Amino acid sequence: MDCKLAVSLMHEYLDGDLLDEETDELKQHLAECSECRVAFKQLEQTDMLLFAVNHRKPPVSDELTARIMQSLPKSKQTHVWWTWLKRHPALTAAAAFFIILLGTLPLWNEGPEMIVKGTDLDQVVIEGNSVIVPEGRTIAGNLTIEKGQAKIYGDVEGNVTVIDGGIFQASTAHISGQVQSINQSVDWVWYKIANVFSEVASP
Amino acid sequence: MDNIETRLVKLALKGDQRAFAEIVELYKDKIFHLGYRMLSNRHEAEDVVQETFLRVYKNLDRYDQKQKFSTWIYRIGTNLCIDRLRKRKPSYSLDAELNDQDGTDGYALLPGDERTPESEYLLSETQQLIHQAIDSLPDKYKTVMVLRYLQELSLQEISEVMDMPVTTIKTRVHRGREFLRKKLEPKL
Repeated sequence: MDCKLAVSLMHEYLDGDLLDEETDELKQHLAECSECRVAFKQLEQTDMLLFAVNHRKPPVSDELTARIMQSLPKSKQTHVWWTWLKRHPALTAAAAFFIILLGTLPLWNEGPEMIVKGTDLDQVVIEGNSVIVPEGRTIAGNLTIEKGQAKIYGDVEGNVTVIDGGIFQASTAHISGQVQSINQSVDWVWYKIANVFSEVASP
Repeated sequence: MDNIETRLVKLALKGDQRAFAEIVELYKDKIFHLGYRMLSNRHEAEDVVQETFLRVYKNLDRYDQKQKFSTWIYRIGTNLCIDRLRKRKPSYSLDAELNDQDGTDGYALLPGDERTPESEYLLSETQQLIHQAIDSLPDKYKTVMVLRYLQELSLQEISEVMDMPVTTIKTRVHRGREFLRKKLEPKL
């Protein structure tokens, strides 16, 4: 073995990577070569000194942690709900839908105008704030009234919906569909949502 | 593998400041000693610690949990030290005033008298000698030797931190050791 290879094996030994048979070869070389014996001793001592130096370390200043914590950007808090939104896309979409829906809400005290929607509107009589379906008349469909009173004496072959108003059904009245009275914004929202879905379901 | 660091990282990601403070407690000494050995300057070492944790904090959501947390934080700290060593090299003109620090010139940046890195805590002459020898190593060997001997990382870990093949790390350790042996020879 030449001395160059021997030195290389010495380093492998110090790395803890020397194989058994290589250890034997190195031992044999060291027995024969006094120069390498000195080199090996020095390398081993260097190695030990380097590890030993670890036992004394400069003290770390006590307030370093506090200083680090203070130096962190404070924006992390707003970050939290943002990451939450990113992790819950379905809930986020639902919330967004709800917010958009609220935006389409009519302002409740906006104006006193009454709105009447329906199929056979020539069959109804409007008197001030009241929408009257007189006795003997038939509406072949739905009737929707916003901000008004419904007074039903005749027949409605559909649903009657009253938003922000009232409904009066005479004994002669006959309504084949549903009667709904909606007075609050929350009800309105559900009414809108239900409409969206029934429209989606039956285009 | 859900070790303590991974758990703390998860808590910190949810905004738990105390969990992050716990991470700081676990690693500040290690990063400080790394910086101190690499830069031989207490003040700069503290800056490196602070900068390391700031980067950890900002990139916490990018931490890959398949990787050891220690490897990740050592990589950040080591790179910051190497950057600082590199910036020192283009020997700043000693007399020119530095633009952003009023009144300080290049002299103030020299490892100066009041900062005597070793004397403040080292008693033995041998220890001072070893530290001076490490200081005199070229940067690329110094990094590897500090990680190997002062942080006691394995060759494999160093290769992950430095993102270099183990064989390269091995060569550097061997050369570094040889360099130090010659430096310390008169004392051995």
